[in-house]
Amino acid sequence: MSKSAVDIPPKGGFSFDLCRRNDMLAKKGVNPPTYRKTGTTIVGLVFQDGVILGADTRATAGPIVCDKNCEKIHYMAPNIYCCGAGTAADTEAVTDMVSSQLQLHRYHTGRESRVVTALTLLKKHLFNYQGHVQAALVLGGVDVTGPHLHTIYPHGSTDTLPYATMGSGSLAAMAVFESKYKEGLTRDEGVKLVTEAICSGIFNDLGSGSNVDVCVITKGHKEYLRNHQLPNPRTYVSSKGYSFSKKIEVLSTKITPLKEKVEVTEGGDAMEE
Amino acid sequence: MEAPKTIAHQIGGVQNDALRFGLQGVKSDIIGSHPLESEYQSSRRTQEEMKQRILGNMYGSAFPLKMDLDRQILSRFQRPAGAIPSSMLGLEALTGSLDDFGFEDYLNDPRDSETFRPADLHHGMEVRLGLSKGPVCPSFI
Repeated sequence: MSKSAVDIPPKGGFSFDLCRRNDMLAKKGVNPPTYRKTGTTIVGLVFQDGVILGADTRATAGPIVCDKNCEKIHYMAPNIYCCGAGTAADTEAVTDMVSSQLQLHRYHTGRESRVVTALTLLKKHLFNYQGHVQAALVLGGVDVTGPHLHTIYPHGSTDTLPYATMGSGSLAAMAVFESKYKEGLTRDEGVKLVTEAICSGIFNDLGSGSNVDVCVITKGHKEYLRNHQLPNPRTYVSSKGYSFSKKIEVLSTKITPLKEKVEVTEGGDAMEE
Repeated sequence: MEAPKTIAHQIGGVQNDALRFGLQGVKSDIIGSHPLESEYQSSRRTQEEMKQRILGNMYGSAFPLKMDLDRQILSRFQRPAGAIPSSMLGLEALTGSLDDFGFEDYLNDPRDSETFRPADLHHGMEVRLGLSKGPVCPSFI
């Protein structure tokens, strides 16, 4: 191994600078901020010509619904898509990063990406961070070796299944799959079953809700059905709009003019030093 | 003479910023500040060693040695300390990290640091030639 002490330029990554301080503060009795509960239903199944992925569109942060119509089916490669559950930022960062890696790999080899390549890159990354990157994924795609569906857990373990669910609504969705899935489904039957599974998550799990997104991937073709079904439309919108009777009072006004900060000095020989 | 208005930001050497690095002690120096930190570094090292061993088994023990020499040569091939950082293209092509794209490439990039201090060319060259101590570029957190 190289013992020579030549320091190459430092790289970024996670910063652990404040961990000791936070430990110390926690020992002194300062309550650290807690994690916000997340919730999702994402599913995927293999049908006769390819793979269908499905997701709900509610973004939950503890007791609050942050976004009623977010996207949980992420692009990985033209023939591979990935559903993400867990911390939204983590799932997006991981899938975006791996899709960049796949693009680089395609430039390098000049061939279509395989699903196992994406799977290996994802699980390697997640295992390296030991579950601190909170992303639970359902990865599906069709490549030269046929349709593939995988689930990836936040610690880096993976499963290869004909039908898979993830997230807090996974139990509700899996119940539908377990009772109704059979091999050799047609496209329409598959989309219907995925929609039903997502709806079961939407209506029985508090962390999931709003609309149904579906993505159908077949050989050489994909179809991203954003908001395939809207089971929870807004029921009442005030026709008059809302008006507020009382204007906000201005108590005091103070305007501070900006000052010139840069001083320009003329003269002097620039080459003198 | 007027006292300096700013407190110099300490990076290398003995680190006694208690808020950022904890109280000075043997234990806090040995164990990392977070379990993930030490795990991440050690897994990097083991992966590197494993790769070397695999190459040794496949192509004979001379191959990893020769690669190591190449690595040393390429890691010394750097720009002088200054505004433009070294790209380390040769080294990355050798180690294969050219094809990788990870968190370290776009999150918390030292070049985007808020506490950027312009590099001192003379100091950097002295460090590189072994004349003085410290990191080449003591400008980053």
